[in-house]
Amino acid sequence: MHKLWLILFVGSILTACGGAGGRSSPDQLTIAINSGVEGDGLKTAKADYEREFSISITIAEFPYTNLFEKEFIDLKEGTGAYDIIMLDDPWFPRFAEEDLLAEFEPLYQKRGLSGPDDDFVTASLALCYHPYGDGKLYALPYVGNSQMFFYREDLFHKHNLPPPETWDDVLSSARLLQEKEGIFGYVMRGAQGNPIVADYMPLFWAFGGEMFDSQGNPQVNSPEGVEALRFMIELGKYSPPGYVSFNADEVGAHLSQGTAAMGINWPAWISTFDDPTKSKVVGKIGYLPIPSQKARGASSIGNWLLAIPKSARNQEKAFDFILWATSKEQMKLSALRGNPPTRVSVFKDPELLARFKAYPVQLVALESSKPRPRTPLWNEIENVFGIYLSQANSKQLSPEEALGRANDEIKRIIERNRRAP
Amino acid sequence: MRSKESLSATDGPPSDREVKIIKRREAWYERRLQYLLLAPAVLLLLGLTVYPMIYAITVSLSGRRGISLENFLRLAEDGFFLRSLLWTLAYTAVCLAIEFGLGLALALLLNTGVRGRSLFRSILLLPMMLPPIVVAVIWRLMFNQDFGVINGGLRQLGFDISSLTWQASPTLAMFSVIVVDVWQWTPFIFLILLAGLQAIPEDPYEAAQIDGASRWQIFRDITFPLLKPAVLIALLLRTMDLFRTFDQIYILTDGGPGFATETISLYIYKTAYRFRDFGYAIAMSFVMLAITTVASNIYIRVLRREQIAQ
Repeated sequence: MHKLWLILFVGSILTACGGAGGRSSPDQLTIAINSGVEGDGLKTAKADYEREFSISITIAEFPYTNLFEKEFIDLKEGTGAYDIIMLDDPWFPRFAEEDLLAEFEPLYQKRGLSGPDDDFVTASLALCYHPYGDGKLYALPYVGNSQMFFYREDLFHKHNLPPPETWDDVLSSARLLQEKEGIFGYVMRGAQGNPIVADYMPLFWAFGGEMFDSQGNPQVNSPEGVEALRFMIELGKYSPPGYVSFNADEVGAHLSQGTAAMGINWPAWISTFDDPTKSKVVGKIGYLPIPSQKARGASSIGNWLLAIPKSARNQEKAFDFILWATSKEQMKLSALRGNPPTRVSVFKDPELLARFKAYPVQLVALESSKPRPRTPLWNEIENVFGIYLSQANSKQLSPEEALGRANDEIKRIIERNRRAP
Repeated sequence: MRSKESLSATDGPPSDREVKIIKRREAWYERRLQYLLLAPAVLLLLGLTVYPMIYAITVSLSGRRGISLENFLRLAEDGFFLRSLLWTLAYTAVCLAIEFGLGLALALLLNTGVRGRSLFRSILLLPMMLPPIVVAVIWRLMFNQDFGVINGGLRQLGFDISSLTWQASPTLAMFSVIVVDVWQWTPFIFLILLAGLQAIPEDPYEAAQIDGASRWQIFRDITFPLLKPAVLIALLLRTMDLFRTFDQIYILTDGGPGFATETISLYIYKTAYRFRDFGYAIAMSFVMLAITTVASNIYIRVLRREQIAQ
């Protein structure tokens, strides 16, 4: 009887321990990546690295919407399941603020280096410091996305339109092309949350808006903000009906099928537009930096960063991998696989320039891009902001009302999270 | 259950004292055996339900400045929470009404001698067999305004579909998530009601026919009262399910456009996992739990009254 209990007891403990397995051993790295073109680059690099350095790498792949949750829960619990995480830059402040990432400076010093070299695009590297601007380094930029403006060069030529420089140009061209060509003049992302906010921000900035004042108070309902939203809704008249539910995929589909003349999207789509099996507009699409209006045009930066969790067992080997993956040679390979680089020298590489004609424009867009506000509360703010922008675009609320309510909600989020004195 | 010492003590018959000890021991085991046997189950239950419950309460009560009710006070002034609550209630009511109406009609129809009824029965049960995620993904593709089969078909028939933006217009989005749930879960109500109908004995019908009752009278006075327990069970299960709908809407609209189709479950999920605010998410879950408990108690009470009446 006693023995039976003992066996059951020991057995259950053993099973419990077995459940906690799957941790990485010294010669193994586990990397959490986004499933999509950005992560595919790392998947191919993994095989090269394994061959060169005889270390085994496990890739854990998650769709964009779940990646943040997976990584955050894991880092917060300190399970050490991942040695490297790939993260979208707006998430970075949250991870850094909660002190979940390993600092890079000591790791550089151990290798006799003072820090990252100055070949990285300044705007991209700046994202990896916390606090933004003058903080410490916790990541390195791997994929240098920033929004670009796509337009149908052939149709603009046909109707003697100059490439749009201001948003007013965009609106008048959209009107004209929709009338004369019978296609949608413009297409944008209007789905609540991340998509609509990412497409509204360039307008907001071009109209002179800033999300927070110098004291950190939200001011999205400023006159500039309202004007930008009014303009967005006006532009929506030349967008396919239903753009309020669009994400990057729908925008990409309309552009590549030749059913819309202009739109903002990520550079990853360029390869699709140039692929005859997927696109009806090969060679007809031109690329521009984001148009200006009252202020200089700026695109949202959307870089993918590589960072090491504080709980990772293999920080040294993980750092070696990150240095290798963000090196000039590897980044060039990754660029050939379709990922925009984060190094100036790779953007200017003659072989790549011959292949990717948009690179000069992309570099300008990236260098003049703006980050979405660097706050650990960004996910929550973006969600609320996106809901109201989406409601204004689907005519449930007037622009003033939508932005007024958004501003109140953002204020409430910030106040609620203000630390106790 | 004899211990070693009592066996090895003597070879002869046990003395009175030994018998007493053995008996006392046996009685001890007898009294405690039930607890011993129950212990694993009780521990498991404590570990899986009571502990998390207490933990949840402490998390929901821990504010930024120690223990406080701030998460619960926030509920009252959170417009998003109230809107998602109202929408969830409306969604539950509308889906339930349609599913019940259709389910009852189908059950009554297929309970008669209609030709090919066994084939229909099997076909009708198919939607219910599919995982909700699969159903939602397929419907989302069908509802796609530019490439979906619904708009494509209507365009072929010559309709103007430019305003049929299923996921972008709040009203159409609400309509489409209701359609999907009705499509998938009407068969469930149908199945329970059909089983209920088949359990009703023949004799009251014969008696009614002899008395010359109309078909409506038969339905109102015989079929429906005898079907009531099945109706209540079907409604109870569906109400609970509808009230916590998550997967279908997560895939179909993710709560959009704007906030139009965000159910409480979805809002709780986003609060917990996207905004990392577990305290508030748990506070909302408690409200949901309270509503579910009240609703199910009403159903169960009515059901019990029915059983007593019968």
